[in-house]
Amino acid sequence: MAKPVSYSYLPEDRVPLPPPDAKVHTTACDYCIVGCGYKVYTWPVNKEGGPKASQNALKVNFPVGINSGKWIAPNMHNVVHVEGKPHHLVVIPDGDAKVVNVGGNHSIRGGVLAQKCFNPSKPSKERLLHPMMRVRGTLQAISWEAAFEVMAGISRHVLDRYGPSAWAMKTYSYQYFENTYAISKLAFGAIGTTAYAPHDKPGPGPDTPGLDWAGVDAFSASYEDWGEAEVIYFAGVDAWETKSVLFTTWIMNGKNPNKKLIHALPRKTTGAAYGESRGGLFLPVIPGTDVVLHLAIIRVILENGWEDKEFIEKWVSNQWEIDSGFGRGPRNTPVEWFTTWGRYGVGFADYKKWVLGYKYAELNTAEEITGVPAALIQKAAELLAKPRPDGSRPKASFMLEKGIYWCNNLGNTTSFAVLGLICGAGNRPGRVISRGGGHQRGWMGGADYPRVLSPEKFPGRRKKEIDLDRWVVDGHVRFAWVIGTTWLQAMAASQGLMEVFEQMTRRNPHQITSFDPKIAVETLKRRADSGGMVVVDQDIYPVDPIGTQFADLVLPAATWGEEDFTRCNGERRLRLYSKFYDTPGEAEPDWRIIAGFARKMGFKGFDWKDSNEVFEESARFGRGGVLNYHPLVVKAKQEGKRAHDLLREHGTEGIQTPIRLEGGKLVGTKRLHDSTLRLGPPEGPTVHPRWLTSFDTHTGKAILLRSYWEDFQDFWEAVRPQGDELWVTNGRINELWQTGFDDLRRPYIMQRWPYQFIEIHPEDGKARGIESGDLVAIENDNVLVQTGGYLGVDDNELSFTELRKAGHIQTTMGSLNAVAIVTDAVRKGVAFAYFGFPGNPANAVVPRVPDPVTNRYRFKLGKGRLTKIGESPYKHSFTSMSFAPRTIM
Amino acid sequence: MTESRGERLCLSRRAFLLSGGTAVTILALGGPSEVFGQGAALKVVSYPRKKIGRVSHLKPDQPIMFQYPWKDFYSTNMLVKLGVPAGGGIGLDQDIVAYSTLCTHMGGPLAGQYRGQYKVLGPCPLHLSTFDLIKHGMVVAGQATESLPQIVLETKGDDIWATGVMGLIYGYHANLAGKA
Repeated sequence: MAKPVSYSYLPEDRVPLPPPDAKVHTTACDYCIVGCGYKVYTWPVNKEGGPKASQNALKVNFPVGINSGKWIAPNMHNVVHVEGKPHHLVVIPDGDAKVVNVGGNHSIRGGVLAQKCFNPSKPSKERLLHPMMRVRGTLQAISWEAAFEVMAGISRHVLDRYGPSAWAMKTYSYQYFENTYAISKLAFGAIGTTAYAPHDKPGPGPDTPGLDWAGVDAFSASYEDWGEAEVIYFAGVDAWETKSVLFTTWIMNGKNPNKKLIHALPRKTTGAAYGESRGGLFLPVIPGTDVVLHLAIIRVILENGWEDKEFIEKWVSNQWEIDSGFGRGPRNTPVEWFTTWGRYGVGFADYKKWVLGYKYAELNTAEEITGVPAALIQKAAELLAKPRPDGSRPKASFMLEKGIYWCNNLGNTTSFAVLGLICGAGNRPGRVISRGGGHQRGWMGGADYPRVLSPEKFPGRRKKEIDLDRWVVDGHVRFAWVIGTTWLQAMAASQGLMEVFEQMTRRNPHQITSFDPKIAVETLKRRADSGGMVVVDQDIYPVDPIGTQFADLVLPAATWGEEDFTRCNGERRLRLYSKFYDTPGEAEPDWRIIAGFARKMGFKGFDWKDSNEVFEESARFGRGGVLNYHPLVVKAKQEGKRAHDLLREHGTEGIQTPIRLEGGKLVGTKRLHDSTLRLGPPEGPTVHPRWLTSFDTHTGKAILLRSYWEDFQDFWEAVRPQGDELWVTNGRINELWQTGFDDLRRPYIMQRWPYQFIEIHPEDGKARGIESGDLVAIENDNVLVQTGGYLGVDDNELSFTELRKAGHIQTTMGSLNAVAIVTDAVRKGVAFAYFGFPGNPANAVVPRVPDPVTNRYRFKLGKGRLTKIGESPYKHSFTSMSFAPRTIM
Repeated sequence: MTESRGERLCLSRRAFLLSGGTAVTILALGGPSEVFGQGAALKVVSYPRKKIGRVSHLKPDQPIMFQYPWKDFYSTNMLVKLGVPAGGGIGLDQDIVAYSTLCTHMGGPLAGQYRGQYKVLGPCPLHLSTFDLIKHGMVVAGQATESLPQIVLETKGDDIWATGVMGLIYGYHANLAGKA
């Protein structure tokens, strides 16, 4: 494998300009949470515009100015079909944007959107074009009608004989309201299954329970707030690497460009290096220990009396307000199912007393556990909370992401919420507590998850949502429908999961041998009855292995640009994502496929004619919620318009949900819990939930929650590296999106990241003889996996220690390989790989033992032994993969 | 991926013959340990040839600015002797390269941002894109949707000539087109 590798990436030195009569559509980026506004130009291939403003649709003279937002890079151009005829396509950030990506800023991911559009002479030709069935081992085209007949036939059998929770769905949670509404209406409404999980976790439910229980909505902030902040604490997130424009437009700039940035991460990323170079801090935290870091910072703040006393007095619940049941916190969570006997929620005075006496909050102990020098912890507390000589406080904001909530889900998020609250953040301009976000917000539930039927329960509480992977591995699923996710690579201990799928699908003796749907159904019934599983994979590309190897049926989906869709970004900004070119082959949007199946099953209410009808129907299900767009739909009806068309009039600016009516006009909501927002009486269909102007608790006051290292310590000790092992943590990197499904089809991106990589500290590299460019094996022979343990009755029954005693924890193995990047950006003892690189995901060496309270995996706590395999072909290549540091400032 | 040098050149020549036009030449920009196929072959229609410097005047890691292909603001480039072999590098050590100094993200000025220790240009002061000058201007980290345009160089004795551009220069819609 040591020959130099060259991707045939040939940069273009010209791009056709859209002529003045080119068709213009508005949309937003398909990828990260920021959702930058884009304009799309299409025109027939036989003509081109000219460089004078009068000669092109952008109405600008070429060459265009620096930072003009009007430059068309060659990767922003493609050729597609529109109404059956070849057309030029230009997808370019909206240079006139006044919100989000102001002035046409964009990321590398959004900047290459045009290359995802189906072009039979480019790598995007790999799109799925026909419904297919695996007949005698080979996927072959069939009709939609036949596909639905087979799916309905086997589904009826599974539902009748094994019940709804043997019928599983694993889908994205974000790919547009129209689709998720149809998915949830089917799964939870028509079928009533509990065996459902979103793409990135083992089951439904909150990702950041600490915020929820404190009364803080995870997406309460507005991008202006990040711009206005004077100091920002980033926990397990670098916005530059993962939500580029939020960083480059709002954090590097915004109302206050001189803000101080504090990043707590196990590796120094580009954004962290930028922050450090401008008076901020980089806290190199050992994976999984953030709760201790948060508590130590909190303790320094409280010891010095730097907390925001005025804010706490007004906005933080006292003991009586919690104990009397008015809080929505750990005593009274979203459905008041969570009994904790005073263990978590506590008034400020008691919290202070507790943290000052808590040994793991003590500075030297914290330094030892977290690896962050005590001086840095103290400095962080100072930057966040120390009042200035005139008594004023820095406007502090707090951003968190998966780096902390996929380690110690409960403890990290509760302590993070407290840190923000005592600094006076959460409900006012420039002072916010929010997630940065990963994907956009595109979930609209057409029915609720039937939690009461879930097989899982924590001691002393009502049911909790399922861990679908464990449910499958334990043999409870007979039919699984996967939509728009890799499932296996994206989940923990991914290789063990793959083995189970393989056993239950293609290793099962009952394989389809006939194109006749009736015969196929009979075969699949025998599969189910023999303990096997039938898998349907619905996606835009062939997905390995779930689609290419395991699925019995593969269904082609239409996606971004191929249907009118809607979705919100990380500041709840709703936009229309326009259809602008032909759907490839026989692909159909997911909502339509769901509807086709549902009608075959005889379910009512799946008769939509177009995506606008789905959108309009879905609106009333979001009325009381954060993503409420019901007033827009009502207003459209009043004006005799389709709701999609009214939203289209709002272009790339869209409107921030929850949408309200004021004086007959549609008004957006900048931030939630906004103590500066003044509301009159609600108008027409407008809803005014309490959390618009106060925290999301019964009293409107936030709740402080105690966080215990001991709750997590037993698990952390069990998975931490031993001997010559390293932590193998994982995450994203700026240039790639998700599992690289589109990136794999973009030569420009593939020349940069042709293969999985692993960052390793120079000392760790030297000890193992590993240099940058070497191919490295990463092996973990202690990948812990939970089986069983669904019902907890006694107090501590589901703690890691007790689960292990009861035989519910098993040891499995996992391995991947990767190209080494030796860099001091990553801390000694820690290696970092891309979480979901398709062929060799870092999730292979990650334990599959969820947080017992919240059922969230500890994805970031992988480990492994690193050994050199040899030199990779990239080591001496001039055309593929760069080994230069990402942290040069 | 595993083709030998001979096969690769052969392919390029066939591609050249198929393309037909007499004004079209194909330049192979091979480094010492690297063989290029279509990926680095460049179709040059009619870029001007311009003498931009002398090999003997270059000192390692000390960039020299020059204008190419035109004399306007956008045609600002940097010539540098990296001191290590590079993709498209010329000279005895294959280490002399030249690149546009306008960031291919939004045109930010990269002049003055050369970091000799790492052989990168950047980060761009606007949005922090950084480019690897050993690897044909590939983005190291950043938001640029194109590699940094590399100026095709040739030597004639001690003279360095610019003869083409790989990639679209920021601001232009076509490097060789007339301006508005």
